[in-house]
Amino acid sequence: MRAKRALRLAGGRGPGTARESPEDGSGPEELLERVARGDRAAFEHLYDLVAGPVYGLVLRVLRDPAQSEEVAQEVLVEIWRSAARYERGRGSAMSWVMTIAHRRAVDRVRTAQSAVDREDRVARLEVRRPFDEVAESVEGRLERERLRRCLDGLTELQRESVTFAYYGGYSYREVSELLKVPLATVKTRMRDGLIRMRDCMGVER
Amino acid sequence: MTDETRSRDPHTLAGAYALDAIDHDTDRLRFEHHLARCAECAQELRGLVETAARLGQAAAVEPPAALRERVMAEIGQVRQLPPLLLPGSSGPGPSPFTRWWPRLAAGLAAACLIAAVALGAVLIQTRDQLEQARAGNRQIAAVLAAPDARTVTGSGVDGHGATGTVVVSRSQGRLVFASSGLAALPDGKTYQLWEITSGRMRSAGLLRPDASGAIPPVVAAGAGRADQVGLTVEPAGGSAQPTTRPLLLLDLRTA
Repeated sequence: MRAKRALRLAGGRGPGTARESPEDGSGPEELLERVARGDRAAFEHLYDLVAGPVYGLVLRVLRDPAQSEEVAQEVLVEIWRSAARYERGRGSAMSWVMTIAHRRAVDRVRTAQSAVDREDRVARLEVRRPFDEVAESVEGRLERERLRRCLDGLTELQRESVTFAYYGGYSYREVSELLKVPLATVKTRMRDGLIRMRDCMGVER
Repeated sequence: MTDETRSRDPHTLAGAYALDAIDHDTDRLRFEHHLARCAECAQELRGLVETAARLGQAAAVEPPAALRERVMAEIGQVRQLPPLLLPGSSGPGPSPFTRWWPRLAAGLAAACLIAAVALGAVLIQTRDQLEQARAGNRQIAAVLAAPDARTVTGSGVDGHGATGTVVVSRSQGRLVFASSGLAALPDGKTYQLWEITSGRMRSAGLLRPDASGAIPPVVAAGAGRADQVGLTVEPAGGSAQPTTRPLLLLDLRTA
């Protein structure tokens, strides 16, 4: 029930509405500010909003449910711990939360994989195409369609650069090696791909 | 060649940075340095980070119900960080940059720069935490991989349910400690690790078990000559010398 609400809120809204906080003080920004003051009830509300996105993203990057649960727990506790470090003027609460989640997941990938042979990694990467999986698990239908349409609007190289990095947890060097494209090109495609996504999805700046 | 490309225009790293796709510390620091001086870049990065977050939200999956219980239990034992006070931050009251520095006119460049520096500082701070974690992992790996690494495992004194493992490397002068089966402590109490050398106790740090009662591997320095490692319960903040009987005592002399 709670999780359903989280999924709906996470996926089902239109552009820009992420930052239209409700008047009743239950938007993620207000909740985070209350959490910073040690308000447990606010944290429980915030959990309902962010746990689905946090767990889903970590799972997408790490694949292993047990490990993902562990990392998601770390992330959610970190949100409690460092809520006072969030400043509304610097961006949406959701983006702050997702940034923490993604960094933790990627850090786990890089630590775990540091011993693994690079060739192996690339071989494994070859069989997973994150973009195709996006559509299967996105819960919010409108958001899913929007995301798909926006991803479709990218060139193949932009799309692969962005999704391998974000959903796959790969560095731009690894993406460059995988796609057999120069480093400078991958960096550029990541940037212009994201810019095109930003404009397409109507992200406020 | 690639170094040359990188230094020529750090700005192009904004996308990779927003996607956490920079795995090279030098690259990252160079970009963060650039970011702190380039208000325009900080503003662009912000939009890209928000965009990446939307990709993340689209991956939402219902988490296991047990996660909620564990998180709620754990936060009861976690001290919250105070707000970060940065020179140039606007202090209490409405921030001039409410919501995503949205429609900043070019004339606000000075204010923008302050925010850019602040954003850069926060990013660097997060990175510092990651770097600390990475440095810890590297130290642990170094101990575990040392040719003279020896392992000692023991269970709790007096039938206490805890078990502990120490891997010690005399050549590295470090030991790695991990434990499980530890009871959650009430507020005001903490676990403290001790290195015992010729009967002298030296604190090796305060430890907090996770929700499952485990302490993940931590590394302690100064283990060149330690005879024993002990774990006690102490008042929050730790003690200069142990005030309770150890619930774990591992003898390294046999190692």
